[in-house]
Amino acid sequence: MVPVDFYFVLACLIFSLGLFGALFRRNLIMVLMSIELMLNAVNLVFVAAGRAIGNVDGQVMVLFVITVAACEAAVGLAMVIALFRKYGTVNTDILRLLRG
Amino acid sequence: MSDFSLLMTHGVFHLFAALITLCSVLVVMSKHPVKSAVFLVVDLFLLAGLYATLDSHFVAAIQVLVYAGAIVVLFLFVIMLLNLQPEQLRGLKFSAVEAGTLVISLVGFLITVVATFKGDQTGLGDGSLDPVAIEAAGGNTYVVAMKLLTNYIWPFELASVLILMAIVAAVVIAKKDKKKTSAPIS
Repeated sequence: MVPVDFYFVLACLIFSLGLFGALFRRNLIMVLMSIELMLNAVNLVFVAAGRAIGNVDGQVMVLFVITVAACEAAVGLAMVIALFRKYGTVNTDILRLLRG
Repeated sequence: MSDFSLLMTHGVFHLFAALITLCSVLVVMSKHPVKSAVFLVVDLFLLAGLYATLDSHFVAAIQVLVYAGAIVVLFLFVIMLLNLQPEQLRGLKFSAVEAGTLVISLVGFLITVVATFKGDQTGLGDGSLDPVAIEAAGGNTYVVAMKLLTNYIWPFELASVLILMAIVAAVVIAKKDKKKTSAPIS
């Protein structure tokens, strides 16, 4: 098997890219997609670590993470649609009501 | 394990890792959300391939079915529904140098964290479920299902409640405001 460290490093890369997208993109849909990327990095760590220590609990956890990700995407996209209907934009430079 | 099969395993991992990184960069950097969504699908398929190399066949199948099949399609539906204008697809606000510095420092930090904490693996598992034992016990899907429906039965049931709540919430949030829509008729 490939050393588990390699999987961790790859997951670090994906997570960092996802965080970068979530912080710097100005489109709400892009922010949601970046969050999916970060969740996938975490899933990769769960599966790789579980395989390394001989345990399937990591895979069970991945199933829960996927469930939560699906719920998050559904509710988040519904909010994007509602915001677009109200304000006509999904740009976070304009939607700054909670930024103070 | 023979030298050739070891070489193949490493080669496949590094090929997949390079493609995943490339696709992740394209997901984050693409100007148009549709392009990002398509690269996200490719990314998720490649990750499913990595799960398969880690003997996690059930997770790999679910990754393709739920993530690539359902979640990204939902994203694409919303992107098409909103029909975003070009000026709303403006790219990044920060310069590439600032952003690149941030990502590189973050990667370094995370690798340091992993290197710090990976040493001690005691108490994390008894190591009884190596691939050979899993095959003997009935295969990956069987073992995962046994865990899911015995040890993790309460989280499993709660997940169904969570999904129900998400369905109702999504419908309520995305539904048109009744007063607004009925106003022109009356």
